[in-house]
Amino acid sequence: MRNLLRSLVLLAASATPALAEPAPKNLLDPNYGLMVWTLVIFVALLIVLTKFAFGPITKSVEAREQALEDAIGAAKRDREDSARVLAEHRAALDASRDEAQKIIAEARVAGDRVRADLVEQAHAEQANMLARARQEIETEKTRAIAELRREAVDLAILGAGKVIEKNLDDAGNRQLVESFLSSVTASAVSASR
Amino acid sequence: MKPGSFLLALLIASAPLDAQTPGAAIPPAATEQTAAAEHVAGCEEYAPGDFITPHITDAHCLEVPGFPRFWEPHEVVLPRWAPIHIGGVVIDMSPTKHVIMLLIAALLCCVVLIGGARSHVHHTRIKGSPKGFGSGIEAMMLYIRNEVAVPNLGPHPNAYVPFILGLFWFVLFANLLGLIPFGSTATGNISVTATLALLTFLVVEFAGIRSNGFGYLRTIFYWNNDLPVVMRPLMFLLMSPIEVVGKLTKPFALAVRLFANMVAGHIVVLALIGLVFAFKSYLVGTAPLAMAVGIMMLELFVAFLQAFIFSLLASVFIGQMREGHH
Repeated sequence: MRNLLRSLVLLAASATPALAEPAPKNLLDPNYGLMVWTLVIFVALLIVLTKFAFGPITKSVEAREQALEDAIGAAKRDREDSARVLAEHRAALDASRDEAQKIIAEARVAGDRVRADLVEQAHAEQANMLARARQEIETEKTRAIAELRREAVDLAILGAGKVIEKNLDDAGNRQLVESFLSSVTASAVSASR
Repeated sequence: MKPGSFLLALLIASAPLDAQTPGAAIPPAATEQTAAAEHVAGCEEYAPGDFITPHITDAHCLEVPGFPRFWEPHEVVLPRWAPIHIGGVVIDMSPTKHVIMLLIAALLCCVVLIGGARSHVHHTRIKGSPKGFGSGIEAMMLYIRNEVAVPNLGPHPNAYVPFILGLFWFVLFANLLGLIPFGSTATGNISVTATLALLTFLVVEFAGIRSNGFGYLRTIFYWNNDLPVVMRPLMFLLMSPIEVVGKLTKPFALAVRLFANMVAGHIVVLALIGLVFAFKSYLVGTAPLAMAVGIMMLELFVAFLQAFIFSLLASVFIGQMREGHH
């Protein structure tokens, strides 16, 4: 190294005599004492600075960065939380609104059903009453027909008695009565219609 | 360095003749010997006309403000210790001006950064965020960390971030110290920048060994399995020296870049200021003064820029080495 520097210096000296001549000092000549001093001072400085300056500052900066990161993380978390809560509330509101709608709809359906039931029931009752009335009428009619027939038979027997009283074996009379009776029956049926 | 040497030549040409003679009187061979024997000069070794060299070179004395007239410099001669011999290398551990400047830079780093860290931690604990000075230090630190170190270092960069940050702040303060009165740029000394670059080189290689394991050897010995079998040893012989040179070029460029930028800027500023005195005229002297102020502002920017580039390139080299070769 030293020889290299020497030769460089000689080269420089021959190239620029103006610099070399008035300066008896050789700028490129190494001073080993100074080199040792430099090494010692720099290494000692490096140890001291690493321990007392770079370490604490780095640690402090990292702590601050960590704190900032934490704060940002917390803020983000809070925001997400509040957004979630807001969404939940909104969902709950929507749900309750739906519920109310559903309840109203159900009530309406139930009311409609009740009304329909009532109407149906009324109709059924009416029909029932009508049927019963009709049946009663029919019954009454049948009974009336039977009674009428008994009455007619009685009348006929009565009339026959009267005829018999007067004309005991008149075959012509008997036929007359019979035809009369059949006409009465036919007329009674047509009258009931 | 080109404009600097040009201006220096201008300055020398315009200086009075008697100022030039002492420097010129020493023959080049003697100059070389002097430099080799004692590359760190004492206080009063320079020619009176040359005021640039003592400003950009190291010395065994320190200029301090006088008291009470602080604008008159007072020279403090630093103690000389006996050099230590280790093998064939002579190590002179005597404190020099640049050692003092490095110590001041380190001290300023400690005061500013530890103070900033304290304030940062304090305010963060009290009200959750830093304020004032701590906040400013944090901004610069985080910029270097998040924009320079982390994107270039590759995955799991935390182990290397303090090294990059330390490099940035130390180089920055050493650069800035040269811009204040009575200060001197320690990073304008090749020994300092070479040491920092060497340390970076070691960290780079260490990072390579740690992340690649035995694969690290392939960053030195080129062996490409995609090549035809015949070509592999050929390329191995050709590429391996290139790989080694490539490894060594990076720290060399780091060292020279910082050193040259610092020295060149100071030479330009000093030469411009020298022009003011060379012209000996208020009218003409204004122009170099204005230029010196401009260059000084540029220097302020360059001080930050070079610290930034040094740390950026260090992290790029570490990242390149870690991501696995080829």
